Amino acid sequence: MSIAARRARYVVKRLLQAIPIVLAIVILNFFLLQLAEGDAVDVLAGEAGSATPEYMAELRAKFGLDQPLPVQLAVYLKNVVMFDLGYSFRHEMPVSELIFDRVLATLLLMVSTILFAVGFGIVLGLIAAMGLNTWRDTAISILSLITYATPLFWVGLMLIVVFSLNLGWFPTSGMENFAMFYEGWDRVFDIAHHLVLPTITLSLFYLALYTRLMRASMLEQAGQDYVTTARAKGVTERRIMFVHVLRNALLPVVTMAGVQVGALIGGSVIVESVFAWPGLGMLAFEALFARDLNLLLGIFLLSALLVVAVNLVVDIVYSSLDPRIEVG
Amino acid sequence: MNFRLMAVAALSAGALALGAVQASAQKAGGTFVKIVQPEPPSLASYLSTSGPIGLVAPKIYDGLFDYDNDLNMVPALAESVDVSADGKTVTFKLREGVTWHDGEPFTSEDVQFTVMEVLKVVHPRGPNSFREVTSIDTPDDNTAVFNLENPAPYMLRALSGYESPIVPKHLLEGKDLRDNDLINNPVGTGAFKFVEWRKGQYIRLDKNENYWKPGLPYLDRIVGRFIPDASTRTAAMENGEVLYGAYGAIPNIDAVRLREMDDFGVTTDGYSMINPMALMEFNTTKPPFDNPAMRQAISLVMDREFLIENIWFGYGKPATAALSSNFAATGLYAEGMPNYPASGNTEAAIEVLDKAGIMPDGDGVRASFTLDLIPYGEDWRRAGEYMKQALLPLGIEVDLRYEDVPTWIKRVYGDYDFQMNVNYFYQLSDPVLGVHRHYGTDQIRQGTAFVNSTRYSNPKIDELLSAGAVEPDADTRAGIYEEIQSILADELPVANIFEMEFLTVYNEKLKDHATSALGAYGPFDQAWIDE
Repeated sequence: MSIAARRARYVVKRLLQAIPIVLAIVILNFFLLQLAEGDAVDVLAGEAGSATPEYMAELRAKFGLDQPLPVQLAVYLKNVVMFDLGYSFRHEMPVSELIFDRVLATLLLMVSTILFAVGFGIVLGLIAAMGLNTWRDTAISILSLITYATPLFWVGLMLIVVFSLNLGWFPTSGMENFAMFYEGWDRVFDIAHHLVLPTITLSLFYLALYTRLMRASMLEQAGQDYVTTARAKGVTERRIMFVHVLRNALLPVVTMAGVQVGALIGGSVIVESVFAWPGLGMLAFEALFARDLNLLLGIFLLSALLVVAVNLVVDIVYSSLDPRIEVG
Repeated sequence: MNFRLMAVAALSAGALALGAVQASAQKAGGTFVKIVQPEPPSLASYLSTSGPIGLVAPKIYDGLFDYDNDLNMVPALAESVDVSADGKTVTFKLREGVTWHDGEPFTSEDVQFTVMEVLKVVHPRGPNSFREVTSIDTPDDNTAVFNLENPAPYMLRALSGYESPIVPKHLLEGKDLRDNDLINNPVGTGAFKFVEWRKGQYIRLDKNENYWKPGLPYLDRIVGRFIPDASTRTAAMENGEVLYGAYGAIPNIDAVRLREMDDFGVTTDGYSMINPMALMEFNTTKPPFDNPAMRQAISLVMDREFLIENIWFGYGKPATAALSSNFAATGLYAEGMPNYPASGNTEAAIEVLDKAGIMPDGDGVRASFTLDLIPYGEDWRRAGEYMKQALLPLGIEVDLRYEDVPTWIKRVYGDYDFQMNVNYFYQLSDPVLGVHRHYGTDQIRQGTAFVNSTRYSNPKIDELLSAGAVEPDADTRAGIYEEIQSILADELPVANIFEMEFLTVYNEKLKDHATSALGAYGPFDQAWIDE
């Protein structure tokens, strides 16, 4: 069997395995969310000022909240199987529409953060490892410790104070300039301009992680027998470093990045909140406080699917980086 | 109160306002970006009085009247109002030539439909505001005659586009009021038309070119931005990205800093029809607060001035009665009520407890209870911490509880599973609208938020409240409310803490934004930007 065919079979197998896992996650989440006191109707009624008990009963009936729990779950599962994520009664919109609106903003922030953090993390780790115990190594280690230990919201606010308020280089918040409503390429540049500070804030934390990991991994690989062999064969130090060691040292970094892509959706609530970035994290956060369970379940389901997909991609990347690891 | 006179005053005030508009040198154009926080659940102001909806919807929907900063009626969709001598027939003369944003004409049918089929049915406060209205006649397109069961003097104070928005009959008739297209795509007669709502980002409104006030509005566009983090909101204001934030969108601690800077202004205007009051609700059915002495002691020991000065940065006024002193304008506020010391009186509180036989036990503890705090921000938590300290010298031990909004609402108004709750209420423009809901036996409505959670029931008070609601004579009405306040100052099922002053922070570029008594909930048709 060719490698391509084997890979395709492997992907299908993994996807089939994922179905029961995702279903279990949905059911678990469903019951977990029932533990919270109060429901969407309580919140809506509370915000409205006053509402009659008849009105609230009517709302509950409309939302299906008057049904017994197993029935609610069955209805939800039936909808999910038919690719219908349900309806958010708070937003008066289908959940899929709400999520789709936000998922692009989240992906934008997530992808730029991962690229920035992994890219710079690898470079900084490499520099530190190559100049072991020199001032460069020390400086990079101190820097990564500081960024790792600083709370995200504080970094965000400080960046806003310095780069928005004092220097005026970047806008404080939002994804676009709402006084102008740019179109075409102007809009692309405008969004990129707004993306800079949130990306840096979110990246700083992960950057430290990747730097440390890359440095340790490089040092570990540099002591392996195959490096000695290569050196004995007369391979240049440069080639040993960049072709042999680097490729092997990347494996743990890729593993880490894979795990964190899933976490980034949830982990960006703070950054989304500080920079008013319209991502899924904030949506989930608000949905929780509004007891908008359909919406929350939809977001959790999407996160679960994303984690499954990313893990699959990571496994395939493994086998490319290190042919000794076989898929199947 | 003489309603004919009021209507005349209203007309002349309106004429003055229009005259002033033509005389000064406003600049047209520009996008006005303001903070809307939190993101509203919908834009259906006829369904929900939720605060953030009020920040947006009154620009889209007009009311029959607006109110100026002295609370005079300013004609809006109605040009005038005439109240019959017995107070039971209220005739509105409606403006001619007004169209909805979709081009359909506005008529008296819309008014009839809005009040009878919408506000009286699904609006949270509408059933109260219009409770005496039995029918509305529409003799012609521009006349709406409200037939009342009893006189309802407070109704004329509930006609703004925020409190009672007039909605289009042709888009709502025969539809499910709680589930239709208008909820997220409002169509009104107001100065601005709804364009777009990007969830998590902004709501955009564009100028209504066919607005019924000639030459208005000045602004081309209003954008309401959602910025969850308070510090970022302040930064966006400082950076000029947003020009306006009301209802504490900029925390007091930052507002007092911005106040000192050249480009920013801070005002407490624009909240007089909202009348927010911070207060304590006591569960009168359970110990320890089934004993009025306990409630009196708590009210007596509270250093209201300290709370205002140290937690709210001086913005607020100590409460002195069940009604806010803002009701002095209508003669309903009673001065000099007992149990409301401005700066706290520990000795008096101890005396009250001693007299009632609530004595310290072996450990010096007279009572202990759990204090619930409204989960609307850090200030309230600080207030709870202060109260815990302040009650210690009385030998009262307090546990603080701070939950999220749904849990808290269910606990206090659904399960009555609380002892003492710190909260704030809007007293609105008349006690019937905002205050009666605390005290009436008919307001003990389990599961309904922000009504009588104390389950206080006093036939005498019920009688007085009913009388106060329908009394047309101003002096007699004042007498009724004086008696109500005097009884409540002794019984204290609810003890008011202080009359809150919300802050509006604005960029000085923004002009004429405070022309309505409704402030941030106003139409903003006269606001303009001086670039």
